[in-house]
Amino acid sequence: MVLDVKNVTKNFRGKGKTNVIANDNITFHINEGEIFGLLGQNGAGKTTLVNQIVGLITPDHGEINLLGKSVKEYPERARSICSVQPQSQVPLGFLTPRQAVSIMGKMRAGKNYDPKRLDMLFESLGMGEWADKEGEKLSGGARRLAAFCMAVIVPGQLVILDEPTNDVDPVRRRYLWEVIRNLTKVGTSVILVTHNVLEAEKAVDRVAIVHKGKIVKQGTPSEIKSSVNNQMRMELNVNKTEKLVVPEWALTSHQNGMRWIFQVESSHVSSAIEWASGEVNMGNVVDYSLSPTTIEDAYIELTSNKVVVSS
Amino acid sequence: MSILSEFKYVFQMQFLRSAGFLVFMALIQILISIGIVIGFTYLIPTPDKQSILFLATGAPTIILIFTGLVILPQQVGTSKSDGYMEFMRTWPVKRSTILGADTSIWLLITIPGIVVASVVAHLMFSPGYDVSWTVVPALLMIALTSIGVGYGFSYLLSPTTSLALSQVIVFGALMFSPVNFPMDRLPEWLQAVHEILPIYSMAEVMRASLAASTFDASMGNYINLLIWCVLGYGGAIFILNRK
Repeated sequence: MVLDVKNVTKNFRGKGKTNVIANDNITFHINEGEIFGLLGQNGAGKTTLVNQIVGLITPDHGEINLLGKSVKEYPERARSICSVQPQSQVPLGFLTPRQAVSIMGKMRAGKNYDPKRLDMLFESLGMGEWADKEGEKLSGGARRLAAFCMAVIVPGQLVILDEPTNDVDPVRRRYLWEVIRNLTKVGTSVILVTHNVLEAEKAVDRVAIVHKGKIVKQGTPSEIKSSVNNQMRMELNVNKTEKLVVPEWALTSHQNGMRWIFQVESSHVSSAIEWASGEVNMGNVVDYSLSPTTIEDAYIELTSNKVVVSS
Repeated sequence: MSILSEFKYVFQMQFLRSAGFLVFMALIQILISIGIVIGFTYLIPTPDKQSILFLATGAPTIILIFTGLVILPQQVGTSKSDGYMEFMRTWPVKRSTILGADTSIWLLITIPGIVVASVVAHLMFSPGYDVSWTVVPALLMIALTSIGVGYGFSYLLSPTTSLALSQVIVFGALMFSPVNFPMDRLPEWLQAVHEILPIYSMAEVMRASLAASTFDASMGNYINLLIWCVLGYGGAIFILNRK
């Protein structure tokens, strides 16, 4: 076991004398070579949890052990075991990605630093054109990728990636997932913090859904999905949003612009198809599809009891 | 990894990250220090040697105050706001190494300004420099105090508060501190304040090492600097290690 988090609770003092519980009795572990996803909405307590794992803040209660030793007692050891890509952009200033990544590599590995890995990483991520440009002149995506490379140039036994794909274009996102998957082949474990649930579903081995400081569910993606078992997902593209009345059989509905997603009980599939065909004939719906539940559906159901409407 | 290697890599990271800015700041400091030596003489209708010596031996102190208590807190404030400070705290090195590397960089960029101002003052006015061997330890001590105090308050306070404080300091150090003129010109209450604050001691120690035959620094000045230096770095290390 690489990481063992037991009953961790962390409170922060809010405005006045209010108390904000950022993490509430959180327990999980990560095995060697595993990609573990921490999913949750903004402010769910994911980054606070990560900061405690690296030893930047101390839990009020509970214990965190990295490779069998307490993070609280050995914070410097924790920082050498974990390599971190922070959630915020790393301001590189006048550093080029090549300089930043190679210096970080040397800081981690000293004389054992292998400069070939830098070339390999930059090639895998299609970073050639940016490698020798000053950080200030780079786009958000390029800087994010440079920060990712800084975290994985000489990966610790645990690599922590906080929203690594933010700002990154779809093609390089795929490259990035490949690099992450390759890390685990040499036994590195990865914590992936994200609120991009669909992307995470394809990448993670196990996942914990964090909501209001608590882990509301953890397991493999299929275990998580089974919590909303026997359900189907209907996806529709509509002509005009205001015309659509959410049908009774929809367990949850989620709107994103012209796209609607309904959760449907398997027993209601035929009524759903009938309804959708009717809507298509009336010209309210452009097209529809039915598919098994995704982890996003489970996530929405677990983190919200009400109908979610986002635009 | 040895502490020396750790230091080397942290220094490289910090120096290259700010390289363009540091060169620019070093140039600005050269201009400011020359400005103090030459520009302030315009304020005095017929400056005597004593006044010019005060200005010439005060300029290096102003440079060190400006670097440690004004530019540095502004940079720390930016690092705090943009998340770089939090990122540095995840590095696999000792926190004191980061502080040491940063201190060395700040120290380095003050040197051109101090050297150029002193040479210019000597060539233009020959104010009566009498450089003692103590100039190196004195400069180090003043720089460390200034940088340490700058770190201390900029780590402790919010970026906005430390920015405001640094503005007050630069104005106060130039106009209301006995750096470029003798202490007895100030009102008594301000003299009492300067007995506690480190600025007066910095100026006295610098003067005593640049014009050893004209000025003396008391043991009290050195002790004052030492206390402020320890308080500053202590505060900075406390904040860096705070969980």
